[in-house]
Amino acid sequence: MPGNRLESSNMVLRAAQELFPGAVVALGMGLPCHLPFELPASGGVWFIADSGALGYTGQDNDGVSVDAGGSLVAMLPGGSFTGVVDVAGILRGGHTDVAILEPSQVSTKGDFVHWTTEKTAGLFAPGSAVDMAYGSSTVVAVMPHQGPGGRSNIVEKCTLPVDGAGRLDLIITDVAVIKVVASGLELIETAPGWAAEDVISITDAPLSVSSGLKELTVDIPAIVPPNKVYPSAVDALLDVPEGSVINVDGFAGPGGMAHYLMVGLRDLGVKNLQLISNTAGVARVSAFGSPNIIDHSILVENNQVVKATASYPVSPSASRPSAFEEAYNRGETDLEVVPQGTLAERLRSGGAGVAAFYTPTGVGTLLGDNKETRTIDGKDYVLETGLRADYCIIRGHKADTLGNVVYKGTSRNFNPVMATTAKVTVVEVDEIVEPGQLGPEEIITPGLFVDRIVVRPSDFSAYLDI
Amino acid sequence: MISVPDNPSTNGKLYPSGKDALEGISIGDTVLVAGFARCGIPQKLLQALSEIEVSELTLICQGAWVQESTDFTIADLVATGKIKKIISPMPFHPVYGGLVKKAWESGNLELEIVPQGVLAERLRAGGAGIGGVFLPSGAGTRFAEDKEKRLYDGREHVLEFALKADYALLRAEVADTLGNMVYQATSRNWNPTMAMAAGVTVAEVDTVHEPGGIDPELVITQAIFIDRLVLSD
Repeated sequence: MPGNRLESSNMVLRAAQELFPGAVVALGMGLPCHLPFELPASGGVWFIADSGALGYTGQDNDGVSVDAGGSLVAMLPGGSFTGVVDVAGILRGGHTDVAILEPSQVSTKGDFVHWTTEKTAGLFAPGSAVDMAYGSSTVVAVMPHQGPGGRSNIVEKCTLPVDGAGRLDLIITDVAVIKVVASGLELIETAPGWAAEDVISITDAPLSVSSGLKELTVDIPAIVPPNKVYPSAVDALLDVPEGSVINVDGFAGPGGMAHYLMVGLRDLGVKNLQLISNTAGVARVSAFGSPNIIDHSILVENNQVVKATASYPVSPSASRPSAFEEAYNRGETDLEVVPQGTLAERLRSGGAGVAAFYTPTGVGTLLGDNKETRTIDGKDYVLETGLRADYCIIRGHKADTLGNVVYKGTSRNFNPVMATTAKVTVVEVDEIVEPGQLGPEEIITPGLFVDRIVVRPSDFSAYLDI
Repeated sequence: MISVPDNPSTNGKLYPSGKDALEGISIGDTVLVAGFARCGIPQKLLQALSEIEVSELTLICQGAWVQESTDFTIADLVATGKIKKIISPMPFHPVYGGLVKKAWESGNLELEIVPQGVLAERLRAGGAGIGGVFLPSGAGTRFAEDKEKRLYDGREHVLEFALKADYALLRAEVADTLGNMVYQATSRNWNPTMAMAAGVTVAEVDTVHEPGGIDPELVITQAIFIDRLVLSD
């Protein structure tokens, strides 16, 4: 006779062993929703729900915030709210480290059925499980090993329509932990008192037994949030490799540009950069703001730029070309011209896991040349692809130490969308505050998008000495 | 906060009742309804809709899977028989069922199931003038059946088309008379996306300020998307 089965609270706690400092953790309906109720309130990971709650705990409730299952929760200091379309982008766009789901059935191949049962077989209940499964780095199933009548929930091939094909990485049940590997399912842990044979005997799918098979525990290490605050621009950009693609706001005028980080990039001297930006540095020739404002030109003049993707790459004055134009005319740089809205949409797509989209902008013009066109409901569209970057440098007004950012006035422009597109997002702000000092409804860029924060020194000038 | 005017035409977007605010809604229309669980649901507008002589409506919404609600919900509207079809990621609770499940089982209600992020993205596309999007979600499942697929970065992506509707019923805690809106907590959910994706957008709000009463940095749904406002009580 094997040992007891795990209670559902312990099944869920085992899933917490898959978390790590700063992890973005999406929780689906059912058992996964219990995790923030079982763990102490801590800002070490970002629990996110498809209701739009980012960074919450179940240890309290504020009367107005709900999780994926509709239960009341409370925001942690530094938590924020967003809408469902942006949650989908967080799930699908590669921003989620771990997704935890409760499927009703899973297969040898890692397929899963989410919440559909024989009683609702003609219907599916995907909720957000599909987006969670297709966008997260690791997908964990938490579910009872057997259903009603002792039938195995783990099968060779799902008997109900699947919500995710081959998407699962790990299955945690009330008697075992099973890894989905290329060759099938591998038993890696068993509940106390359960031998491998006991688990195999109640599983309707082949299980290989790991040579490192061990007893399932629910010990949870304390998780503290990673430090994101860097002492200087140069420190925050030290690892930028040659040839990187870098997003920088670059809207004309002084507002939204990360001047301090740009100077850091210039001081580091890293070469062959490809900039994605609204302009390619025209402020100094078109007198937006001031003729000596810092912009892309400092990187171009330092021979660091090999390509710009921009919507306003040239100066409005033919007699006063920008540094980028001069370099382009000398054959030193490449240029990709993208209309502003298309640039914004391509960045948004890159950040939200949309590979490509049909936009009406530019159809029948040079900007649509050599691109696929398609007529949808009688209207012509051109196909554009998502854009991503290696680094992104953002200009915010204030950030908290978890990386939540607010902007001031029109300096917002490209910054929030760009913050979603890069492998490493670095933000420059006037002031860093403690989590909780920015209101959860006020935060524009949630901290889960931000990796590094620097304060723009109070004596820093955005103007060159000329 | 200001009071409801007697004549809505003198105060722009503010309408005296839910019924007035829904004027023009017609047989066979498609209606977006915001809300997630018990948050951000335009209850007064749903109730008004149930009292209007209209039928064969298609609703696009999160679903009616919250059990303990005593408020007027999608399920109550379905019970009136005015609804032909619901497009939703989870129209009813798979375990607990309810009125929507009953209507579906008796053949009186059609259901189209779309994963939540796909539905949100299709509405966003509709609202932002995008014709279609290639998404990774649902590749290899029946959500991708009979749809065009392409490989990007070696992964299969599925073409999903934009979605728009005739009306959108929204809910916000605070608005100004121009229609700028802010939401409390998880009441935001579908509201900002649906606000962009309908011919006529009607918002039920708890408090209305004069223009300038909401900090411009805090506005989530901009007034240009909102056609009509009605106070929740």
